[in-house]
Amino acid sequence: MDANTIIPILLGAAWLLPLASFVTIVLAGPRMGKAGSAAAGVATSAILIGFVLSATSLMIWLVANPLPEPHHPGGHHEAEHHDAEHDIPAGEHATGNGSTPFHAVAFLADDSADPSDDAHADADGAEAGHQNDAGDHAAAEAYTAPTPIVGTWYSLGEFGSLRIDIGYYIDTLTVVMFTMVTLIASCIHFYAIGYMHDELHDYTDPLAPTADGQPLHRPGRFHRFFQYLSLFCFSMLGLVYAGNIAMVFVFWELVGICSYFLIGFYFERHSASTAANKAFIVNRVGDFGFIIGLMALWASLGTFAFGDQVVDGQTQPGIFSLVRPADHSHKLIVPAGMVTAAAADEINEAVLSAPPTEAAASAQPSAAAIDQWRSEGYGYWLLVIAGLGVFCGCVGKSAQFPLHVWLPDAMEGPTPVSALVHSATMVAAGVYLVGRFYPVFTPEVLLVITYVGAVTLFIAATIAITATDIKRVLAYSTVSQLGYMMLALGVGGWVAGMFHLVTHAFFKSLLFMCSGSVIHACHTNEMTEMGGLRKKMPWTAYTMLVGCLAIIGAAIPFVVGFSGYYSKDSIVAQSLLFWQANPSHPWPFYAAAGGAAITAFYMFRLWFMTFAGEPRNHHVYEHAHESPKVMYMPLVVLAVFATIVAWPVPLTNLSLNNMLEQARPTGMLPGDGEVWSGVLMDNLVIPNELLSHELDIHVPATLIASGTAMLGLLLAVAFYGVGALDPNEVRQRFKLIYWWLWNKWMFDELYDAVFVRPVHFVSRTIANIDRTLIDGLINNLALGVRRIADIDGLIDKYVVDGLVNRTASCIYSSGLAPRRVQNGRLQTYVVWIVAGTAAIFVLSEYLGWLSWGLGITTAFK
Amino acid sequence: MSYEVAILSLIVFLPSLGALGLLLVPRDKVEAIRLITLAVTLAVFALTVYVAIPADDGEASIRFEMGQAAMQNVFNIPWIPSFNIYYFMGMDGISFPLVILTTFLSVLSFWASWSVKTQVKGFCILFLLLETGMLGVFLALDFFLFYIFWEVMLLPMYFLIGVWGGPRREYAAIKFFLYTLLGSVFMLIAILMLYFASDLRQLDEPQLAAAHVANVDEVLTAKQAAAEGAEMHTFNLLALMQMGQHTDLFDAPLLFGYSLQWWAFLLLFIGFVIKVPVVPLHTWLPDAHVEAPTPISMILAGVLLKMGGYGIIRICYPICPDAGFDLAYLVCGIGVLSMVYGAFAAMAQTDFKRLVAYSSVSHMGYVVLGLGVWSAWAPTNFDWRYWSMGVNGAMFQMIGHGVSSAGMFFMVGVIYDRVHHRNLNEFGGLFRRMPLYAGLAVPIFFAGLGLPGLCGFIGEVFVTLSVWNYSHVLAVIAASVVILTAGYILWAIQRVYLGPEYKGPHGDALTPITLREQAIAWPLIVFAILFGVYPRCVFDYMTPTINAQVQELAEWTRDVKTPRLAAEKAAEEAAAAKSADQDRPSRPVAEKQDGTVGQLSLVAPTDTGAPAATPAARAVSAERAAPLALARAVD
Repeated sequence: MDANTIIPILLGAAWLLPLASFVTIVLAGPRMGKAGSAAAGVATSAILIGFVLSATSLMIWLVANPLPEPHHPGGHHEAEHHDAEHDIPAGEHATGNGSTPFHAVAFLADDSADPSDDAHADADGAEAGHQNDAGDHAAAEAYTAPTPIVGTWYSLGEFGSLRIDIGYYIDTLTVVMFTMVTLIASCIHFYAIGYMHDELHDYTDPLAPTADGQPLHRPGRFHRFFQYLSLFCFSMLGLVYAGNIAMVFVFWELVGICSYFLIGFYFERHSASTAANKAFIVNRVGDFGFIIGLMALWASLGTFAFGDQVVDGQTQPGIFSLVRPADHSHKLIVPAGMVTAAAADEINEAVLSAPPTEAAASAQPSAAAIDQWRSEGYGYWLLVIAGLGVFCGCVGKSAQFPLHVWLPDAMEGPTPVSALVHSATMVAAGVYLVGRFYPVFTPEVLLVITYVGAVTLFIAATIAITATDIKRVLAYSTVSQLGYMMLALGVGGWVAGMFHLVTHAFFKSLLFMCSGSVIHACHTNEMTEMGGLRKKMPWTAYTMLVGCLAIIGAAIPFVVGFSGYYSKDSIVAQSLLFWQANPSHPWPFYAAAGGAAITAFYMFRLWFMTFAGEPRNHHVYEHAHESPKVMYMPLVVLAVFATIVAWPVPLTNLSLNNMLEQARPTGMLPGDGEVWSGVLMDNLVIPNELLSHELDIHVPATLIASGTAMLGLLLAVAFYGVGALDPNEVRQRFKLIYWWLWNKWMFDELYDAVFVRPVHFVSRTIANIDRTLIDGLINNLALGVRRIADIDGLIDKYVVDGLVNRTASCIYSSGLAPRRVQNGRLQTYVVWIVAGTAAIFVLSEYLGWLSWGLGITTAFK
Repeated sequence: MSYEVAILSLIVFLPSLGALGLLLVPRDKVEAIRLITLAVTLAVFALTVYVAIPADDGEASIRFEMGQAAMQNVFNIPWIPSFNIYYFMGMDGISFPLVILTTFLSVLSFWASWSVKTQVKGFCILFLLLETGMLGVFLALDFFLFYIFWEVMLLPMYFLIGVWGGPRREYAAIKFFLYTLLGSVFMLIAILMLYFASDLRQLDEPQLAAAHVANVDEVLTAKQAAAEGAEMHTFNLLALMQMGQHTDLFDAPLLFGYSLQWWAFLLLFIGFVIKVPVVPLHTWLPDAHVEAPTPISMILAGVLLKMGGYGIIRICYPICPDAGFDLAYLVCGIGVLSMVYGAFAAMAQTDFKRLVAYSSVSHMGYVVLGLGVWSAWAPTNFDWRYWSMGVNGAMFQMIGHGVSSAGMFFMVGVIYDRVHHRNLNEFGGLFRRMPLYAGLAVPIFFAGLGLPGLCGFIGEVFVTLSVWNYSHVLAVIAASVVILTAGYILWAIQRVYLGPEYKGPHGDALTPITLREQAIAWPLIVFAILFGVYPRCVFDYMTPTINAQVQELAEWTRDVKTPRLAAEKAAEEAAAAKSADQDRPSRPVAEKQDGTVGQLSLVAPTDTGAPAATPAARAVSAERAAPLALARAVD
């Protein structure tokens, strides 16, 4: 079997094993030993085997696809060939742009003309497939990004040629992510066995008081935790494995629901269930945008697949080839589907204006018309909407401004969850997706990503300064670091962003697990209750120190450093380059550099407050103890990784950075003499990432990043280490700022006022409309009908029936009257006979007179 | 032939036979009555499952043939010949999944009826009659027969709510009855309008064959004679579809300048969407649900609401395509309105069952939206695929909602049976008190939330994705509903299942879920997961038929409607040009011309662009008939 067959199987198995574990625990959980203790074994072995499979796949992948020559960090010296000629006046290429999306401006001309520039020529040539003139350039032996392995398992639905599949898309990024996720997840599973041992027996939860104010006693649910953890691992790996954006969305939601379950693990606590709801709903806000992005793509491209698929012997291009076709040198182009979708009105007009007999035939625009429309910018905004929409989902998942509010609250979940879900993997999924979907983003979208990242990193970092809950500090730190990654991706630093994703996953999960260890020992999250703990728990303290050093990017500049040094360094360098290329956008660089200082400050504030100095609460200190081995051994493993994960393997070209260079999607570097700039914003330039390795960028960036970090570190030492400065005094002096930060920039209050309350108001109003207006109308209608019926009844009763009855009673009474006569008394009869006889006589007389009279009148006539 | 008559009639009337049989059982033998009823529903379910199992290759049987678009197992027997009414039934990919859903939910919901303690015999008899009505609606192909079953189903439902319901049962039952009856009246008017406008003689031989017309020879003879005034009216739904798409029988102007089919569509649509229900015709639903006993709520949400959707896809669109095209935005708009409105209303409820009822309004809005997105038009080059995806999604949503809403109502019923209240603010802590029950309920509610991997997701996403090509605005609003849905479901879960302890009355009654209740819940969960993970098991049945129907309508749009629109536009422009001419001095002449033009454009224009409508349509039908005729010739 070759790599293309075996890797999908291995990764597929690694993906499905946690699902099997989940199903097992769901069905058999309570019966798996005391309080389901065996569940931990099932879940842990599933993910551990997953890790072995992933690592094997990584090796097979690397054997099948050898890495390119290194650029960084081992390759700094290579840049020495270059001198200041790259210091191009930024205004030069920012001007003179035409209306076409991709115009050539002599941006890198100097660079490419330099034949000694082998290092870049390799990669440039690789990415820019248009360099046909091989003899001219060393790019002849250019390396191309390895072809991804694409396949389909089954389809969810097929409508004509439209299909939504469950399948896979495996490239270097996938394999690296699999290995990273399974490795960290394995460590956290082990750690959780120790951390969750309280759940093995009956558990007393003081944070969930019952009605009588007593703490709640409940049976432990150890197995439930591992059940959710397994489901999460399955979902997360599925997200990475996914072969199309719809499948990403499926698993996107599933990690969301796992996060919901895990945040709400202590569901008896109101705060936990509320935080879980908040996390899910805020994520859904992001997903709303995601769906819009999906719709824009789906309706115009008719496919969700990332890569090209062979269906029934025909190659169906995936999104990436549609947006960046190989015969267009992998440059961004608005696909024909989007052009025609945008020109819907014109087509409709044309069809209806055509003679009726030819109307239907004219619905298919010609290729020339499509080209014409495309050059007029038709469909470009669809591409922008698609990009922004998908990014919206990433904003939610990766807790970026303005949807960052859920992540700090998500710390209600048990700490292993925070380490795995809410720092290392799930929240990084947003960054991962931006990286995965990078070929589709237009420069405008990238600018949005940049600024969202920059704002997030700044806001979150400032909030972390004042937080005193140890996990919340780390949560804000996570938000801030994710902002770094977004910023990196936005300014064109694909490798920098993904690099930081991986290094951050290691050191942040390490930091969270250390904080968990501290919480485990102290039974409190408040740093104001801690202090001096390093004597009690040295393993935790020093592994956490490693984590802190890694996150601030501590290093001996240009020689060696912790993993964060390399990744943060490249971000700062790339943002500096971006500033150079776009003089009107210095802010990303300021944010990145300033953020480094704040990061260093709050991280060491955390470390000093927790581990150094005198104990603030002696009761807590007395009871503190080092965690069991099953908890601190994973810390050591992660500490080692947090230190060395960015280092190159000696004597080989194997390094994380190099793998990511290989993972960079084809066409993601502007080729020689080519500039990416937007259509809507045509003076925006996305610089070539390889240029950030140049000395004139790299050296100042490194110095600035290290300098600001050192500044932050020194400040922290001054405040909390040696006590040279008094934080309380500063707090007093800047009361308003402190209040602002302490209240987290008032986001929760703002959203409550602007969104939550109005939604509830609208829903109550609508319910009232239903009850009063619609039902009122209906009921009144019914009532009206009944009133009419009543009136009808009355008419019936009194008029119609009245008439009939009156008639009847008249007849009846007229019948009654003569009855009186027949009373059976002879005397009466005799009287009547006499009266009658008399009457006859009288009448006959009278009538005779009358007839005489009548006769007269007749005679006169 | 006889096979089909036997099996389909058995499916429809076995429940009624069971009801007759129950008359013989003494009323105090409650357990026996229940078991007999359960056995009958199970037998019907078994029959439909038998039909559903794919047949071996080439074997002629009554089993449902997947991948075939046309009607299957059709029979057509004269019933009341003097009025051209036939006992005409059959199944295809649109009706058959709904039939299975009905028989499946009948079994489960009857099993859930063990909680009904009073007048069991009457309950069982009415329940079985109801099942006959529901199955008949889905299988009938004669419009009159359809109408009869539609009404048959109404009456048992009225009594089931009105007798076995909650405190306000009379109000709810009357409201339900009157609403539906109003719809039925509209439907009846439309049926008669279409009947008297129909004329079988306008169809050619292949079309008659496709419509399974029983008296083809008679029609052909009459066609030869071509006598005036001897129209051959029909209730045959398939024949009416052929007429709607291939002739101009229903295009005559009727009222206010709108054609007969425009009015027929509107009347039918109102009749059907009352059943769906859509805003603002939905207020019978929450009341009916709140008052109905649990099993009846399950049937009501699981099956009865689907009849509306079924009517729209089976009757409205294929018979009145022209009106469907013109009114598509209205249909979609109503769907989106229901989605948003239902979701908001659900959020404000404090009665658990009312909340679920409003969630049904919201979810059924997806169905109406998906059916309506007529995106196979000029701007997409008559691409039928997206509309087909919407209709498929809507049909799937009907099935998925049948499972999830029945499950949700059942889950509410389980706790209502124990604590006898449904106030959301007086629950809490059920996860701790009844862990297994909560563990079963939460997946069902997540299916309602539209979580991927469960049945609610597929329908919602497919519908939503299909809308963009029709209208961006509606698509965006439709997409926003995911937020609201998450809101009301999660807040409900939080209030009922999470939290430290139960807050309401009768806390002692919260006993663990019984085996019977589990046995009802598990199949629902299993299907919710199966449909979510492998929706093809439903799509494989329905997609061929839906694709074929949508494709036909797309072709109709291209070949008939578009030239018609072009002609209208040309006529309008001509009229505009003429009225611009009015300003010129030669007024009298202009007026005269104007008058003529106006007259012409009011009726189907015959002069300017007019070869348009009718002859083109005829040409199309002739063209379409050609291959079929050829095939016959070869035979």
